[in-house]
Amino acid sequence: MSTNMNRRHLLRRVACGFGLLGLDSLLSAQLAPKVPHFPAKAKRVIFLFMHGGPSAMDTFDPKPRLIVDHGKPLPFKRPLTFAEGSTGNLLKSPWEFRQYGQSGIPISSLFPHLSRHADDLCIIRSMVGDSVAHGGATLQLHTGSNTFTRPSMGSWVVYGLGTENQNLPAYITLKPGLSHGGAKKWSSGFLPAAYQGTAVGLGGMPFDKISEPIEHLQNLGLSPTQQRYELDMIQKMNRASADRFQHDPELEARIQSFELAFRMQTEAPEAFDLTKESAATKAMYGLDAPETNDFGWQCLMARRLAQRDVRFIQINHEYGPGNEVGWDAHSELVRLHTRTALQVDQPIAALLTDLKAHGLLDSTLVVWGGEFGRTPIAESGDGRDHNPYGYTIWMAGAGVKKGFIYGATDEFGYYATEDRMHIHDLHATMLHLLGLRHENLTFSYGGRPFRLTDVAGHVATKLLA
Amino acid sequence: MRLIGPLLLFVAVAGAQSSSDEFFERSVRPILAGRCQACHNAKTASAGLNLTSASGLRHGADTGPVVTSGDVANSRLLQVVGYLERLKMPPTGKLPDAEIATLRSWVQRGAYWPAQPNETAASAPAKKVYTRAQKEFWSFRPLRSPTLPSVKDQAWPISPVDRFILAELEAQQLTPSAPADKLTLLRRASLDLTGLPPGAGEVAAFLADKSPQAFAAVVDRLLASPRYGEKWGRHWLDVARYADSTGADEDYRYPHAWRYRDYVINSFNADVPYNQFVREQIAGDLLPTPPGEAVNTAGIIATGFLALGPKLVAEQDKVKMFYDIVDEQIDVAGKAILGLTISCARCHDHKFDPVSTKDYYSLASIFASTKQLAKIEGTVSELYFAPLVAKPIADEYRAHQGRLAAKQAEINKIIAGEARRFQAMQAPRLAEFMLGTQVPNPSLDPAQLARWVAYLKPTNERRPHLDRFYESSASAALYQAEFIAEAARRQQAALGTKFLAGDNRFYTEVVSAKGPLSLPTPNPEAFYSAAARQQIADLTAELKLIKAAAPPEPPFACAVAEDQPVRQRVFLRGNPESKGEPVEKRFPTILAGEDQPRIATGSGRLELANWLADPANPLPARVMANRLWQGHFGQGLVRTPNNFGFAGERPSHPALLDWLASQFIREGWSVKQMHRTLMLSSAYQMSAAVTPLKREKDPDNRLLSRFPIRRKTVEEIRDSLLLLDGSLDLTMGGSLQSGAGTDNEFSDGRKSIHPDASSRRTVYLSLRRSNLATLFTLFDFGDATTSTETRSETNVAPQALYMMNSKFVADRAAALGASAGDSERKVRQAFQAILGQPPSPGQVGDALTYLSKFPGPTSLAWTSHCRTLIASNDFLYVY
Repeated sequence: MSTNMNRRHLLRRVACGFGLLGLDSLLSAQLAPKVPHFPAKAKRVIFLFMHGGPSAMDTFDPKPRLIVDHGKPLPFKRPLTFAEGSTGNLLKSPWEFRQYGQSGIPISSLFPHLSRHADDLCIIRSMVGDSVAHGGATLQLHTGSNTFTRPSMGSWVVYGLGTENQNLPAYITLKPGLSHGGAKKWSSGFLPAAYQGTAVGLGGMPFDKISEPIEHLQNLGLSPTQQRYELDMIQKMNRASADRFQHDPELEARIQSFELAFRMQTEAPEAFDLTKESAATKAMYGLDAPETNDFGWQCLMARRLAQRDVRFIQINHEYGPGNEVGWDAHSELVRLHTRTALQVDQPIAALLTDLKAHGLLDSTLVVWGGEFGRTPIAESGDGRDHNPYGYTIWMAGAGVKKGFIYGATDEFGYYATEDRMHIHDLHATMLHLLGLRHENLTFSYGGRPFRLTDVAGHVATKLLA
Repeated sequence: MRLIGPLLLFVAVAGAQSSSDEFFERSVRPILAGRCQACHNAKTASAGLNLTSASGLRHGADTGPVVTSGDVANSRLLQVVGYLERLKMPPTGKLPDAEIATLRSWVQRGAYWPAQPNETAASAPAKKVYTRAQKEFWSFRPLRSPTLPSVKDQAWPISPVDRFILAELEAQQLTPSAPADKLTLLRRASLDLTGLPPGAGEVAAFLADKSPQAFAAVVDRLLASPRYGEKWGRHWLDVARYADSTGADEDYRYPHAWRYRDYVINSFNADVPYNQFVREQIAGDLLPTPPGEAVNTAGIIATGFLALGPKLVAEQDKVKMFYDIVDEQIDVAGKAILGLTISCARCHDHKFDPVSTKDYYSLASIFASTKQLAKIEGTVSELYFAPLVAKPIADEYRAHQGRLAAKQAEINKIIAGEARRFQAMQAPRLAEFMLGTQVPNPSLDPAQLARWVAYLKPTNERRPHLDRFYESSASAALYQAEFIAEAARRQQAALGTKFLAGDNRFYTEVVSAKGPLSLPTPNPEAFYSAAARQQIADLTAELKLIKAAAPPEPPFACAVAEDQPVRQRVFLRGNPESKGEPVEKRFPTILAGEDQPRIATGSGRLELANWLADPANPLPARVMANRLWQGHFGQGLVRTPNNFGFAGERPSHPALLDWLASQFIREGWSVKQMHRTLMLSSAYQMSAAVTPLKREKDPDNRLLSRFPIRRKTVEEIRDSLLLLDGSLDLTMGGSLQSGAGTDNEFSDGRKSIHPDASSRRTVYLSLRRSNLATLFTLFDFGDATTSTETRSETNVAPQALYMMNSKFVADRAAALGASAGDSERKVRQAFQAILGQPPSPGQVGDALTYLSKFPGPTSLAWTSHCRTLIASNDFLYVY
């Protein structure tokens, strides 16, 4: 409620005794662009969420020791895992690693396309989270808390920065999954609803079956002319009532929201319409192949939304038909990781290439990662269990070092040992890259100020470009 | 491991103090300072460990003590610096051996740490001492019965409430707004009390009633309507963070949650005294069973207040999960009933309020002694459902479920035996079939061969266990041999067909339900032996008999129950691994004092319930009176209704709040009586008209210089829309989701029922925490996960899109626009139906012009016209 009050308060200040002139400022109360705490390169985020947890030692964090000790027991007491009963001995990676680019960053043969971008990547090998189960881990990655309901990071970012384009939602998540936290992953929690993410489609839904990217975007019975005619009448009536209440700020804001909605009707379908993309572009993203077309669609959409200044864009590799359990390879690591990597590798490489070609990579922070990694010990013989104690994510783009490796795990890949990057630290660093001080981005709720990073979080300054 | 105690530290080494001092200062402290204290200091305390002081060392790390005096083998510090376990410190590299030896010798000699002057006196005070400011904080003080303030304008006040309001207005040289017109007042009162606009007959009756009691009669009528409980029950359900699923990770359904929702609605309708309502929700299961009932049904259901919180049911750290549940209950009960954010004291003493971790864990002790889940084990812990029948009936039902399962298991066993027989029969020809997929072999059964073809068909999946076969079909013989060996091994070791570490994946795939060696589908019976077929038939007949004799499924509630009382300790920094001092079950001492009767038996919930219901407790009446005020006047007298603590706001009219709270208690905690008190006032009956002066001097309307306008809630929006074409279904109660028991479906199955698919009142739609219907999130419902004190009112484009484009609105508009009649009459009807008031002459003219100039067919014009009214502020706002 205090938000509402604050808003009214703010609106009143902006709008005292105004006519139509003050309206732009009115709208700004919640979503208009805000000045960051300090200048920063990153204007927006594209977060590639790899649900299920990709294995670090099979992708970006090679562990020769596992080859040597393959089949031997782990030489120390293992921590709590998810599948307590079915873990076994050390399991070497079935994939070969090679060094790529000027930087010589090692990447496994799972990512033949992405490895060509080695020199763009800033690989963080020392991620740490607090949950061994998907639900808690996924919530923590998205909201900072594995226990309580908190606003999602995209909501915090929009709360902090507003948006440059009010004709589109400021925060969009493509095809998110409903399991493991569901809509909490993109909810605004106790932040005002204006900051919540807009879900386009859902995990498991084929991308070409998403008929209406945003609900209620199309009028079912009226032509644009008719609708404009109707809208003019609505506005006339609502203006009369706003006048009757001495330009009540909420009523004035409502008039603006209709104009914005009208514009969104035109702009949003255009944003989601791929017909103007060339065949070459579509092929680059893998839209022509059944393995890659779904994630490729998401990646291409991410570029289009980035072009349109959507502030926080999340795309999701989710569980579902055709994907089974995604990265969550409790058994059959080879089969599941091979396929999942195949589905995302080319599209992600295309996204990086394309962002660069459009001059967007320098202002876009790309983050790739799952809710945790996987254990160096086998589960069920040929799989790996969850490992939140040391795993890999990577960043690319605005503000981060290129061709850089940050942090390290122990020689087995179980624990982060150097430059540990807790999820709170990741959030602090992401906010920093956007020009926001995580300790100052607060919201008062129920009598105390809250942050995305709770009472923790350190910016990983070593990886800043 | 034993925590190194102060006695051990300081007494045992007293004799050798001077040399120990020197050893510590010369050898040990430099290592700690140089190697450890950068992270493990008083400020950062990485992992909860502070190695800059004796007390820090004694406290240990979040994971427990780090040094056991004299015990080299069990001192974690030595293991960690020795790189002997997975945690290796310092992380930058192992210490030189000499330094490790020094530390070992230090631990061996008792881990002596010289006392610092400021540390010697650091023994905990026996009693918490509160400052005067804390003790006399406004909300902790006993309720006062203030005298009514004197006012200049003697005509305006018609209720004591008005005197308090007017006194403040007069002090600011403001005057209250004129009375609202009767139509506006009736619409306001109807929406405020029932969530629905008045019907045409009710409007006519009120307009015709010229008596001074006309409005009082309206209020009585509305309070007597069952719609009242549906509206005001929903207020409480917000506060109680009611939902139909666990949210958090797995979002399991609470299949019986609706009973709690109905209980709340019924309690408001029945005007159950508020303190009784509170008592039931904390400990209804422990209250006396009403005569003639087997169990206290309503009481058990009422504890859904505690049971229906979000739960991380798949959390593997079961202790953390359990205490998260306890914490959630402290949080919701604290905020909802006491208006205190007690759960802030889980990890440290409350930063603002005089609530200590000891207070917190004293309360935690109560909820930790309460049954929260049926089973806390396995991957996903099991929810607890309380049967609402006498124990023998519930036991019989469970026993019957057991018999059913046992019989089914017998059948399954025989089928499994047949499956093994099928495999044994097929195994000798396994290689032949594999080869048969590549080279035609007419001797093979085509149906069975087709299953092998399907299985072995190469896909873009990598299946390493089939590589040998793809490379050389000659390996088929090897596959056959391995299959037979694996089957024999499993037979011998009595293993099933589940894939286990190191197993042959080929085997498990082939015999799995989709594999070629599972029983042939669609008619496995054809393969069964005569004996097996007979046995299955017999057992199925028995199963049928058992089913036929099934006792009806008893009703269940999502509730809590008594459990083994625990001996709770404070958890340092909230970590269950770091146990501090033991606590008694008791209530926060700032409110309940130090001398509380000892709770010797049971969980203590009943005692807690009684304390919360005690009129001497100053908070519950204040907090609820404030919520009632907020429900009628838009904002509370305290605008942080869940936080009456130091960080919350102070009341705008403290005397009025105390007067209301005292009045509430005097009138037997009757909520309905409070509505009368609030509504039969000039303050409630004012117009919402505002002047520039009022806007300037009373910008936030804290002084109530006019009636506040508000947007309809999502429930009011949807219910009003359904009312427009008469499709609103006023059936009360029950569940809209079929079936009992839990479900664990993923993705699509997790969606809430789409609001458009039902015409019941919105309060009855199920609320799936992980996926609230978009209509709810669109119109600021909140998140049903933490106690919601106030709905926010945002104004964003997607809401406008809903009005402009949703089918739900369009259907209503079309239905209204389709009515017969001449244009002017239809225009009047539409205004009346949608906005509940006749149009002004100007509006009639505008509407007729609109219709005649509409760029399209007449029918569409009427639909469009009706939609303009629905999209107008006059529909969406309450003035």
